[in-house]
Amino acid sequence: MKPSAFQYERPNDLHAALGLLASGDDTQILAGGQSLVPMMNYRLAQPARLVDINQLSELNYIREDGDVIAIGALARHAAIKSSPLILEHLPIMAEAYDWIAHAAVRNRGTLCGNLCHADAASEMPAIMQILEADLVLSKVGSSRTVPARDFFIGIYETVITADEMLTEVRIPKPLPGTGWGFEEVAMRRGDYAWCTIVATLQIEDGKITAPRIAMAGVETSAARLTAAEDAIVCQTPGAALFVQVADAAAQAADPADSATGNAAYKRDLVRALLPRVLNVAVSRAG
Amino acid sequence: MTKVSIEVNVNGRTRHATVPPRMLLSDFIRHELSLPGTHVGCEHGVCGSCNVVVDGRAVRSCLMFAVQAEGAEITTVEGLAQGDDLHPIQQAFWEEHGLQCGFCTPGMLATAQELLAQNPDPSDDEIREAISGNLCRCTGYEFIISAIRSAAAKLRERESETTLQPV
Amino acid sequence: MSQHLKSNVIPPSRQREMPRAGLTWIGQSMKRVEDPRILSGKGGYIDDVAVPGMAHAAMVSSPHAHARIVSIDTSKAKALPGVIGVYTGDDMATVVDPCPSFASPPITQHPMSIGKVRHVGEVVAAVVAEDRYIAEDAAELVEVEWEILPANVDIEASAAATGDALLHPEDRESNVALDESFSFGDVDQHFADAHTVVKRRLRWQRSSAQAIETCGVVAQFDPFKGGYTIHSNSNFYNFIPFVIGGSLRVSPGELRIIPVLTGGSFGSKVFNHKIIILTAGLARLAGVPVKYIEDRLEHFTNSDSHGSDRLYDAELAVAEDGTFTSLRFTVMDDYGAYLQFGVGTHGNAMAQVTGPYQIQSFGMRVIAVLTNKTQQGPYRGFGSEVTNWVMERMADAAAEEMGRDPVALREQNMIQPDQFPYMIPTGNIYDSGNFQKVLAEAKSMFDFDGWRDKAKAMRAEGRCVGVGLATCMERSVYGPTEWWSLNNKETPGFTLTSTPEGITVRLDPSGKMFVTLNSPMVGNSPETVVAQILAERLTIAPEDIVFNYSDSQSGFNGVGPQGSRFTAMIAGACVSAAIKLEERLKRFGAHMLQRRPEDVELRNGTVAVKGLNDQEKPFGEIALTSSFFRLSFPDGEEFDSGLETTAVYDHPLSTDPAEDRSHLGIFYPIVGHICHIVAVEVDPGTGKVEILDYAAVHDNGTMVNPRTLAGQVWGGTANGIGTTLSEQFIYDADGQFTNPNFAEFAMPTANEMPRNFKLGHVETPSPFTEYGIKGGGEGGRLGAPSALSSAIEDALSDHGVKITSLPVTPPILRGLIRDAEQGATA
Repeated sequence: MKPSAFQYERPNDLHAALGLLASGDDTQILAGGQSLVPMMNYRLAQPARLVDINQLSELNYIREDGDVIAIGALARHAAIKSSPLILEHLPIMAEAYDWIAHAAVRNRGTLCGNLCHADAASEMPAIMQILEADLVLSKVGSSRTVPARDFFIGIYETVITADEMLTEVRIPKPLPGTGWGFEEVAMRRGDYAWCTIVATLQIEDGKITAPRIAMAGVETSAARLTAAEDAIVCQTPGAALFVQVADAAAQAADPADSATGNAAYKRDLVRALLPRVLNVAVSRAG
Repeated sequence: MTKVSIEVNVNGRTRHATVPPRMLLSDFIRHELSLPGTHVGCEHGVCGSCNVVVDGRAVRSCLMFAVQAEGAEITTVEGLAQGDDLHPIQQAFWEEHGLQCGFCTPGMLATAQELLAQNPDPSDDEIREAISGNLCRCTGYEFIISAIRSAAAKLRERESETTLQPV
Repeated sequence: MSQHLKSNVIPPSRQREMPRAGLTWIGQSMKRVEDPRILSGKGGYIDDVAVPGMAHAAMVSSPHAHARIVSIDTSKAKALPGVIGVYTGDDMATVVDPCPSFASPPITQHPMSIGKVRHVGEVVAAVVAEDRYIAEDAAELVEVEWEILPANVDIEASAAATGDALLHPEDRESNVALDESFSFGDVDQHFADAHTVVKRRLRWQRSSAQAIETCGVVAQFDPFKGGYTIHSNSNFYNFIPFVIGGSLRVSPGELRIIPVLTGGSFGSKVFNHKIIILTAGLARLAGVPVKYIEDRLEHFTNSDSHGSDRLYDAELAVAEDGTFTSLRFTVMDDYGAYLQFGVGTHGNAMAQVTGPYQIQSFGMRVIAVLTNKTQQGPYRGFGSEVTNWVMERMADAAAEEMGRDPVALREQNMIQPDQFPYMIPTGNIYDSGNFQKVLAEAKSMFDFDGWRDKAKAMRAEGRCVGVGLATCMERSVYGPTEWWSLNNKETPGFTLTSTPEGITVRLDPSGKMFVTLNSPMVGNSPETVVAQILAERLTIAPEDIVFNYSDSQSGFNGVGPQGSRFTAMIAGACVSAAIKLEERLKRFGAHMLQRRPEDVELRNGTVAVKGLNDQEKPFGEIALTSSFFRLSFPDGEEFDSGLETTAVYDHPLSTDPAEDRSHLGIFYPIVGHICHIVAVEVDPGTGKVEILDYAAVHDNGTMVNPRTLAGQVWGGTANGIGTTLSEQFIYDADGQFTNPNFAEFAMPTANEMPRNFKLGHVETPSPFTEYGIKGGGEGGRLGAPSALSSAIEDALSDHGVKITSLPVTPPILRGLIRDAEQGATA
């Protein structure tokens, strides 16, 4: 179980890194390597060239930028999980990280790498969508910003092009009083999710406002549950409503069948977890 | 593919080597540096047997290429004992029967080393969570948890002794 | 005793050291002797071995479950720089013959496929190259043309398969490898007389040990000496030369197998013969020493150590008052593509198939079915973990059908303390026990009555909380008749009956005691056990004992750690060696003290005059004098130089199976007993099971080292929890093994283990082994699945869910709950 040979590049700045991405076929960015290297060891991935961005300290940051928390391409999961900025403004990320892999993997893995890997059962793609994060994709001479909800296409598939690098994630700080919830079922904590449901919402005059709900692990990529959002917006929170919404979301789900969690099971998990997530989010709102 | 020259500090000693880019750090440590204490259990980043401490952090050495360790400081299990004395974490594993076959142990020790550096007095649940990325098939983990709890106490005691002395 | 057991005579005990209070070293939780070198990273595992000129092998593995090999093109692979050779099954067949088989009639298994493949992962070609990276590059370049054949995945379907779906048409015209029926006692009469016959269909699915270290070999061939030197992490290295010499076309004496420290086995490394033959063959073909270490994928798919995979139709005959009178079942077992150990896993289960209960007769039909999966091998329990679960499921089912309390029903049927040694219908005996005491201890430790009330109250609130209890046997110290006793009587095959364990002890002139073991360290504690027993018997300090491991040419008999035998067997060898060494020590020491041997005794590492405190000679001084100063002693060979002895211990209590198989003889008689009690909560919406509380009480006779025994119990329980709740090998309809990796084959992490695990011990010494020691290496996995199944069923009693198949992963359990919900609304 050894990787096949590749050409190794270790640029010292972003400009050089982007130049390398623009200049060669079959090139992959090596950041934390926690998803890429296992695939290389299995020879499921055999890139001809790796551009190692671990020297790019300019991309290693978690910082406040007005109303936005900006996370650079080299910020490791472990640093994000324990960052005071994250704990203060984005506690849902800190909580979710308890469910994402294990400490040694979080020590190396990066948020941006995780998003670009786009595993269907990965949590952060769902969380970025409810936080309405913007993803900054850079290439030589230009950059573009893509909303998280438009970034993911399918299993291991995103809109990023071969010459682009996800250099920064920009997450708007949630409004004060935003409640949030996170629920996951996996075989073991740290495993890829069979089903993750995440939500944020606010309560105004006893009614739910600005609900954002997403799930991962069920379909071919993480997705917002817009029908569920529409069904609870401006409604009074309540058990019957949440059960009804969960039923509808479970019916509407289109599970990607997998060996250990069949379609009926995935629907059951949506049905079981969605009310729990909403209840927790409501209890935290205000 | 072109080999790459690297310089790495391993267990306090600077090592120079020229390696193919694809050589895994685990293979580099074991076979190029002849430090076989780091074990390879799964080679896909799950079991944690190959954990080593790189720049203060426990990482999977099967998920890093040796070339990426350029300039890094690495501690493997061979670097824990001081002279003839086992490190307090090793001592605690011995006293508490924290190992049976010993294959996962070097990775457990690396994980424990990082945990106790960050959190000198972890709860049992914190220990459990910290080692949950290290698979052990022998022990059922109970005595590993006892060992890390005991190691924490030993290290705190050592810390309080050393802080009494002028630096 | 039933008529059919009359010819099964229990031999007298050969116990020399009685169990007793007041022992100095036995019973102490001494720190392990093995640990400092392991903890400091100097262990010496198989992948740490390097020999000069060594090359590395990588395998080309079958991507198909069942396919003919039309052609193999190795030319591109051979052309790759750094490649020394690329070999196919036909090349391999020029230097080796098929693997040994314990099945009768045997099933041909080549170490590298010839003609066709029978499971995913089977090796079709191998590359030997300068390093493993290059070897894997070349393996990718080997081109194989396949003709796909029908894949057999389902047990029952495979048993009926014909034509191209036959796995071994050259050996047999069916995928049923063995179909034998047995009746021990008046089974038909007992069922005819039964008040109630409880019937269940029970399914136990495959998983495997997956020790964190895979299997590996470093092999060298010396054409001038005509033999092989082989490093291997096999458990059984002193025995395998006799098994594989034929395959390697050398005499057993031309095979030197060198043991290494082994990174866990749990049965999975008992033989390892296939990759030893494979790697040795490559070394011979390539003309260089070859290292082959399985990667994790290969260990999952090709290591021949998958666990039991059985379908039972079981029946329990119960009298009106609740007395269990007879048990019978038909069991089909999916053995995978080959049958290396015959149906030894069913032979094993015959040791304790009726559990701790007084069941008068037992009948069985066993059908071994071949399918296109990796073949079975040993895994902690070796088949008895399944029958324990079957027996306990049947006990719970009987309680339910008869409206009885499941624990009271068990107690009613238990063997009583005054009934030992107790012979069960199959002819095996239980040497000793006090099951009632174990049960009482476990119930008290767990607060069983309190928990049952609490669980009931929680269920009334709508929570799914339940308590389960299992009382199970833990047979130990195996006799090898289990490998063949169920084979066809006319052609039983390889009828091995002895499992000796040897030891060499030498008192060195330096005062150190050098001990040579003939079995490897696999995560058990061989050195610690031996140090404690020799210290006990010879009064030497454990730190003065130095350990070595023989290789297969320099050593003596040794069978190794398996079947929970090693501690009891090596204790016997230690006692034998100590008796011989004591005699010599006393003879030399008495002469040096100018006393008669009968006037001296061993005391704190000296030979000392009885009753006198100041007249003694340290062992070291005696060893020095006896080794280097021969002329200080009288003439006569009893004073030949040196203090060294080799001793062997044979199985303390075993007999042959009856010729007509009316019974199977005594083969696994040193029995422990275990009681596991667990409380769980099920999340009915997700199928997740949380363990709320857990207690285990084990009786393994006299404990040598309570701490290391506790480690075995905990570890085995973790295995059992995985077997029950999370570990599952999933094959799809095409025979693809879909989850052969640690991310998806979910072994418990520290997070999945119970938070407040309580462990207790009862000591009922064996009357047959030295000091009364029993084995204790498998018990956790022999009890946890039964207790957990019972608890989950209790938790879901309001849903009407029955646990009749393991594992119950969350998707599976949720599926059962969903079916029950839909059944309730339909």
